[in-house]
Amino acid sequence: MTRPHVFFHKFLTLSLLAWALPAWAADSPLTLIRSTTERARAALQDPAYQGDDRRQACVDKVKEILLPQFDSPEIAKRTLGPSWRDRTDAQRKEFTQLFIQLIEKTYSGALDRYNSDVQFFYDQERVDGDFAEVDTRIFAPAQNKTFSVNYHLHNVDGKWLIYDIVAENVSLVRNYRNQFNRILSKSSYEDLVQTIQAKLKQLSAPSSS
Amino acid sequence: MSTKLKVAIFIGVLSTGLASQSVLAQTGTLEQDETEHAPLADPLEPFNQKMFWFNLRVDEYVLRPVATGYSKVVPEPARQSVGRFLKNLGVVERFANNLFQGKLPGAGREIGRFAINTTLGGVGLFDVADQWFGLKESPKDFGQTLGFYGVSSGPYLVLPFYGPSTVRDTVGMAVDSAMNPMNYLLSTVEVIAIRGGLTVTNAVNYRSLNLQLFEDVDRYAVDLYGAVQDGYLQRREKAIQEALQE
Repeated sequence: MTRPHVFFHKFLTLSLLAWALPAWAADSPLTLIRSTTERARAALQDPAYQGDDRRQACVDKVKEILLPQFDSPEIAKRTLGPSWRDRTDAQRKEFTQLFIQLIEKTYSGALDRYNSDVQFFYDQERVDGDFAEVDTRIFAPAQNKTFSVNYHLHNVDGKWLIYDIVAENVSLVRNYRNQFNRILSKSSYEDLVQTIQAKLKQLSAPSSS
Repeated sequence: MSTKLKVAIFIGVLSTGLASQSVLAQTGTLEQDETEHAPLADPLEPFNQKMFWFNLRVDEYVLRPVATGYSKVVPEPARQSVGRFLKNLGVVERFANNLFQGKLPGAGREIGRFAINTTLGGVGLFDVADQWFGLKESPKDFGQTLGFYGVSSGPYLVLPFYGPSTVRDTVGMAVDSAMNPMNYLLSTVEVIAIRGGLTVTNAVNYRSLNLQLFEDVDRYAVDLYGAVQDGYLQRREKAIQEALQE
């Protein structure tokens, strides 16, 4: 009489596990950072994307992988600091778009120097309710140097999104916020927008070096 | 038995809960609303701006061209060795500051590293203490020691030639360099000559190893002064935070 009972329990437990495990795995911040990095890495090493003529296609592909993992409006809000509150919805949208373009430019520059022998280490994650941090390291054999990269994420409607990257102990958000605040305190928001636009134009021009 | 077990489990759960909470308390950055952050104070900005501009010119016309030429002649592994050799000479300051912060294991590692790297590592050209013996460096400086004991950084200060610093870290730098045993072993003229030579070598060597980094910061910063200022302050803040947690 007990046998069917035990069987039923086992079945229930296993099916629960089977249902819960992949969901948990997909949701863990560390797993998300790892899978995103590995996907971007695979695209960078894909033979289909090698060669100068395929460079833009490669950058676009990596962008397509990375961008959905970032909470762009949240990053823009945090970099603008106190001034965000005084902005209209249209201005917030405009600023978010400009800032993301700036980040994209920064990243695509870094991609050019990507080397396939770089090693990634995913050390640990800390989760506190809707906020999480993931500690990783990147080892570059060419320079014989290890860089620390720490991701800050928050949970938006059940999905973990990145809102800051701390590279070698320098937070990207804080660093840009100081730059933007300095411009804002000396002139105006309009001036800041113009400065960023000028920077974007300069970055789009072929590099002199 | 079962009550004991329950108590044990309860304590176990409680302590893991507390442990994870303390980890979160240490990081402390998990949920700030950063729209409330005040901008970094910079009361010495007029002076700092001038020094920053001066340093940029020094870099553009002297340091970068020299470092670029040097990097073409001397291969990177050799330049890394030069960097390690120069670093090895700073053992007294690092040892002393480990002691000042009560970090005996760190102080021991620094002494061990110096002994091993100076001998087996060929006067410090190679870091065999880390590679063969797993002795990690424990870099500590007096500015950090002051911060460790609660001295606040004071205003941001850009020094000519040296670059970003704060009032506290400038004092720290002076104390560290006074600790160098060279001061007691050699005449003042010799000390100035040798220190000058070492400082210039270090600057050129360091710059040559970071040509791309400097270019990147310059290229992607919207406001270069602000980017360098914040980068320096964030790193120092973290160095002190780590010293407190260690």
